Amino acid sequence: MVWLTWRQFRTQALVAAAALAAFALTLVITGIQVRDRASAAGLYGCDATHSCEHAVSNFINQLRGPYHVLFIVGAMVLYVIPALIGLFWGAPLIAREFETGTYRVAWNQSVSRNRWLAIKLGLVGLAAMATAGLFSLLITWWASPIDRALALRPDTSIGVVRLDPTLFGARGIAPIGYAAFALALGVTLGVLMRRTLPAMAATLAVFVGIQVVWANWIRAHLISPSVARAPLGSNLNELMISPGAKMTVLGAWNQPGAWLLSDKTITPAGNVFTGPATKTCLQGTLQQCNAWLAGKHLRQLVTFQPASRFWTFQWYETAIFLVLAVALAVICAWRIRRKRFA
Amino acid sequence: MIWLSWRQFRTQAIVAGCVLAAFAIALLVTGFSLAHLYSGSGLPGCQGRGTCVPAIQNFMNQMRGSVYAFVFYIGVAIIYGGSALVGAFWGAPLIAREIETGTFRVAWNQSVSRNRWLAVRVTMVGLAAMAGAGLLSLMLNWWVEPVYKATRFAPPDSSLSYGRLSPLLFGTGGIAPMGYAAFAFALGVAAGVLFKRTLPAMAVTLVGVGFVLLAWPNWVRPHLIPPVHQVLRLRPSAIEGFSTSANNSQMTIFAGVHKPGAWVLSDQVVTSAGHVFSGPATHACINGSPQACSASLAALHLNQLVSFEPASRFWPLQGYETGAYVLAAVVLALFCSWWISRRRLA
Repeated sequence: MVWLTWRQFRTQALVAAAALAAFALTLVITGIQVRDRASAAGLYGCDATHSCEHAVSNFINQLRGPYHVLFIVGAMVLYVIPALIGLFWGAPLIAREFETGTYRVAWNQSVSRNRWLAIKLGLVGLAAMATAGLFSLLITWWASPIDRALALRPDTSIGVVRLDPTLFGARGIAPIGYAAFALALGVTLGVLMRRTLPAMAATLAVFVGIQVVWANWIRAHLISPSVARAPLGSNLNELMISPGAKMTVLGAWNQPGAWLLSDKTITPAGNVFTGPATKTCLQGTLQQCNAWLAGKHLRQLVTFQPASRFWTFQWYETAIFLVLAVALAVICAWRIRRKRFA
Repeated sequence: MIWLSWRQFRTQAIVAGCVLAAFAIALLVTGFSLAHLYSGSGLPGCQGRGTCVPAIQNFMNQMRGSVYAFVFYIGVAIIYGGSALVGAFWGAPLIAREIETGTFRVAWNQSVSRNRWLAVRVTMVGLAAMAGAGLLSLMLNWWVEPVYKATRFAPPDSSLSYGRLSPLLFGTGGIAPMGYAAFAFALGVAAGVLFKRTLPAMAVTLVGVGFVLLAWPNWVRPHLIPPVHQVLRLRPSAIEGFSTSANNSQMTIFAGVHKPGAWVLSDQVVTSAGHVFSGPATHACINGSPQACSASLAALHLNQLVSFEPASRFWPLQGYETGAYVLAAVVLALFCSWWISRRRLA
């Protein structure tokens, strides 16, 4: 049976493996080049702020073109791999047995249903986690000089810090958790819907939805954010007056590698400062406006997640998705055990 | 025949229709407030730097961190991801399922000839895919119009300075999404015909469409119309940075260029003889102040060689690109037709 399956899938499996291997080879070769450029630019030896600034700009300037494209494509591939695993390994795993009726044979063997499910899920799950883990290792290694440079000095034309929602899931060990979860989700939806194609479509929709919601609204609350308060004085960065004399002022804030959650300016009473702007600011010079603002004793209130929490977040996130995967597997086992033959 | 096609396509069509409708509602809700934001920002009717610069700052500040960027990127993802999914979920099963389940024996032995059967199904679903993509592009273009109007005033290298010719955004505007949808669908059908099994065909379609859509803007699109080359005198203000080799024998200068709405393909600093400037680093740049460095570079009489696609080429490029994709789709459909008319019933 295993032999037959392998024979039927051999060509496709080899083509897929060859494509992945070619991509991995590209990453290894270009990754070494990126490292060479980083060390030539002095990125690893720098310690003082000034010499690091110079090294970072020297290094970033050399990244235009293909390296920049690979930086983005690498992250995209790492987001797509767990989704594809859920779609093509997860959803058909049991849905196909239902669809073709082969479950009647498969579940009447000397091996119990739950053991059959456990072996299938265990083997495919390990393969999924290994695939995602290997690629994440490769891409995390490839991008580490760029991540280091961006943590020293942000540059949005190249990328964002690795704690940013768009990049966090394409680094470290989190993709392992996503792969396990996507697989379990695909299998569960396959068991519930009993048809491959609808289960695949549902897996994709649910997985993408969870990823988007998780990254944008849930992850930031896993650890309560750090709060920074400072009087708003010389660090005044932006001043904006909207129609109706509504006024927004923002202070500059720069902490290397951190994930900025919110940046507000509050009055001594603790409310968000919204003006109203005085005549001084509407018609006077900038100096006069600044002096008026200084008299308001405004304070800057910033909530953020510091760069040092990257690995804590990674462990939390991986653990949560692994637990969700196990919970889904238990649901599958329960559904399969309950099912009568029709 | 049309009734049969509809029955077989019903579920997929309804699912896609629901996604499209949900996104249309999100666009409508946010679109009016975005248009309001633009008209209230002072950008329409601003004249000269005095009023335009504060207005664009104002507009950009209100865009930042708001829901607009999120909605827009969801739209971009739906256009690119949607064409790949149309290929995988509408295209790949179209014939592969008939072969896999054996129903092709019935389907191809009716009074309707095989090729007519294929033509009706492919045309109907393909047109639906193109219509969906066109509708999505139209809605997103209406929504993003104020942002594109604002790019005219945006300072260089800001988040708004990327016009609709930039590689990511080009494929989400105009008529190109219809071409992508048609091509992805036809690729799915052809993969299904070749592999005769749904799942491998879906996987190949997803990977194939993803690869083509990624490779195209990097390697093909710049050559659809030869880019404009322009030689400019290198002004000190254009110098964004430079990098030097360890022993200072080599030096690369990076210069910026501000062409609102254009797609800058390459931007090199060349010597007056026309070769790419590679050093050696001037003494003033190694030891001196930034001013001294700029002055020493000015003495070298360097030029900037910029090649770019001007903003006015948006529609010609759209036309060529859509034409190329639709042509590819037609070729793939003809291949499918040739393949199934050749096949014996086994």
